[in-house]
Amino acid sequence: MDPAGVFAVRYSQDRALLRTRKQWFALAVFLAALAALPLLVGPRLIAVANIMLISAIVVVGLQICTGYAGQVNLGQAAFMGVGAYTAAVLAERTGLSFLLTIPLSGVAAAGFGFVFGLSAARIKGFYLALTTIAAQFVFHFAVLNLPGSWLGGSNGATVPPATLFGYRIASDTSLYYLCLVCTVIMVYGAFGIVRSRFGRAFIAVRDDDVAAGIMGINVVATKATAFLVGAFYAGVGGALWAYMLRFVAVDQFTLFNSVFFIAMIIVGGMGSVVGALIGVFVIRAIQELITSLGPELAASVPFLGGDIVFASMNVFLGGAIALFLIIEPKGLMHRWNIVKAGYRLWPFPY
Amino acid sequence: MIIDFVNYAINGALLGLLYALIAMGFVVIYRASKVFNFAQGELVVLGGFLQWWMVVSMGLPMIVGIPLAFVLAGVVGLLIERIFFARLVGESVFAMVMVTIGLLVLLRGVVLVAFGPQVRPFPIVFPLQPLVIGELMIPTNLLWGGVLTVLAAIGLSWFFNRTRTGLTMTAVAEDHQVALSMGISVKRSIAFAWVLGCVLSTLGAVVFLSGKSLNFLASEIGFAALPVALLAGLESIGGLLLAGVIVGVIQGLATAYLDPLVGGAVGSVLPFAIMLLILLARPTGLFGWRTIERV
Repeated sequence: MDPAGVFAVRYSQDRALLRTRKQWFALAVFLAALAALPLLVGPRLIAVANIMLISAIVVVGLQICTGYAGQVNLGQAAFMGVGAYTAAVLAERTGLSFLLTIPLSGVAAAGFGFVFGLSAARIKGFYLALTTIAAQFVFHFAVLNLPGSWLGGSNGATVPPATLFGYRIASDTSLYYLCLVCTVIMVYGAFGIVRSRFGRAFIAVRDDDVAAGIMGINVVATKATAFLVGAFYAGVGGALWAYMLRFVAVDQFTLFNSVFFIAMIIVGGMGSVVGALIGVFVIRAIQELITSLGPELAASVPFLGGDIVFASMNVFLGGAIALFLIIEPKGLMHRWNIVKAGYRLWPFPY
Repeated sequence: MIIDFVNYAINGALLGLLYALIAMGFVVIYRASKVFNFAQGELVVLGGFLQWWMVVSMGLPMIVGIPLAFVLAGVVGLLIERIFFARLVGESVFAMVMVTIGLLVLLRGVVLVAFGPQVRPFPIVFPLQPLVIGELMIPTNLLWGGVLTVLAAIGLSWFFNRTRTGLTMTAVAEDHQVALSMGISVKRSIAFAWVLGCVLSTLGAVVFLSGKSLNFLASEIGFAALPVALLAGLESIGGLLLAGVIVGVIQGLATAYLDPLVGGAVGSVLPFAIMLLILLARPTGLFGWRTIERV
C-alpha cells in the first residue's frame, strides 16, 4: 500500500520497487550503514555479519522455493554444499577467479536442485519435501564415497583465498564487502524474480496447483524452476561460505542446517523477501547471543554444564518455530506491515 | 555361500520389519491427522530415554519400568497435542507439518537438556545371544521385534479399517474441514494420533536399542524408516510389512555384497534411491490411496 497522496500516473511508477523519496532515502541510509559497518564494529561482529550475509543469500533462495512457490525444501543445506564443493574444486584445481567460480557454483547447485525438482512431474506436496531429504542423503553419500582425490572425502577440501587484481580477499573485512556485494545483487534479483511472470506463476502454484494448471501454468516446470532458483541461491551462498572458511567439509551441510533455514523464513515471514532477511538477522543474532552468553551462564550456574548451550539453542529455536506458527503464522514481516499501515493512515483508523 | 545369502536376506527382512515398526508411528499419525511427522526420529529417541530413565536411572525393575515408560510416552504425546496441535485445528495442514519441523528441533533440545549428550547404556530387554537354527543366526531382538511389528500392524489395520472410531479418524486424514462438518472431532483424532505415535515409537525404541547404547543421534532411524512408509503408501498400515521386508532385504543384501565393492554406505543410501524410483513410478506408493483432486 502506498502512503496517502502518492499515485502512480505513469507505468514506470507503477513498476517501481521504490515509490517515494523517503523509501529511496531509507534504502540509501541502510546501504551506507552496511558499507560503513566494518568501521563501526569490531572484527568479531564482522565475522558474524559475514555469516548473516551468506545465510541471507541461502534463505532468500529458500524463500523463493518455499515461501513463494510453496515447495517445502529440506535440502537447502545440501544444495549449499554442492555450491561450496564446486567453488572449492574450481578454485583449487583450475585457479579460476572467484568472479567466475561463484556464479558457476550457483549453476552447479541449480543443476542438482533441478534434478530433484523434476521429480515434481510425478510427486506432489509433502512427498516432494521427502525427496529433498533424499537430496541431503545423496549429497553426503556422494561426497564421502567418491574417490578421496576428487572431493577430499571425509577429510574435507581446502580452498585458496579469493583474489582480485592480486589483492587477497582473506581478512574478515574484505570478505564482508565481497559478501555484501553478492547479497545486494542476489536480493535485488530476488525482488525481480518474484514480481516477474515466473514469480506470479510460483504464487499461483503455491495457492492451488490444480487451479494454476487449469489456468494454463505449466505446474511441473514451475515447481522445477522454483527448485532451480532456490538451489542457485544456495550454491552462491555455498561458494561464499567456501571462500570465507577456506575449508569445506560434509558436516557443515546437514539436514539440521536445512531445518534452521526453514526456521528463518517462518520467523521472518513466508512469502516476503524482506521477511527472509529479517528472519536471518533475528535467528542468527539470537544464536550468536546464546553462543556468547552460554559459557558465562554455564560458569555461573555450574550444575547446568557446558552442553546446555547447544541444547538451549535447540529448545529456543524449536519453540520459536512452533510459537510463530501458532501465534503469528505470517511471521515478523506481517507484524511490521500492520504497523506500517497503521502509521501511514494515522490519525485515521482506516 | 547360499547359507550366507539366506542369512543376509533374513536379517535384512527383520531389520526391515524394525523400520516398518518405526514407520508405523509415522503412518499412524498421518492416518489419524493428515500430518507428516518430521520429528519421528526424535520421538524414538525420547521413548528410548524414557525407558533408560525408568530402568537404569531410577532403578525400577524392567517389568515395572518399561510399561511406565510407555505410559509416560503416551502422556508426552498428549502434551504435544495439547500445547501445539489443539491450537492449530482449522489452520492449514501446512502449518501443522511445519510445527513438526519445529518439534524436531525442540525435542532434540529437550532430550539434551533433560538427559545430556552422553552415551547411555540401554537396558537389555531381549537376550543378547542370537537364535541359532542350523547355520542361520537371527538376532533375538529383531526376531521379537518382527513378531511385535506383525501383531501391531494387524491390530492397527483392523482398528483403522473396521472399527467406527478408526474410520472417523480416517475421515480426518481425508480432509479436516469435511470431517469437522460431519461432526467428527479433529482435535480428539489428532490427540489419539500423537499418543499412539509416541507409544509405537517407544516400542520401536525397545526393539531398536535393546542392549545397545543410546544417545540423541539414534534419531537417524526416523529418516531411515521414511522410505518404508513412502513405499507402502502413507495411508496403509498393513502395507508397511511388505514394504519393510522389501527395503530391508534389498538393504541387507546391498550391505553384504555391494558395500565391499564401492567402499561402504551403499546400504544406507539405497533405500532412498528405491524410494525415489517408486515414487516416480507410483506416487502413492504400493497401497496408498489414490485421491481425486478438485479445485
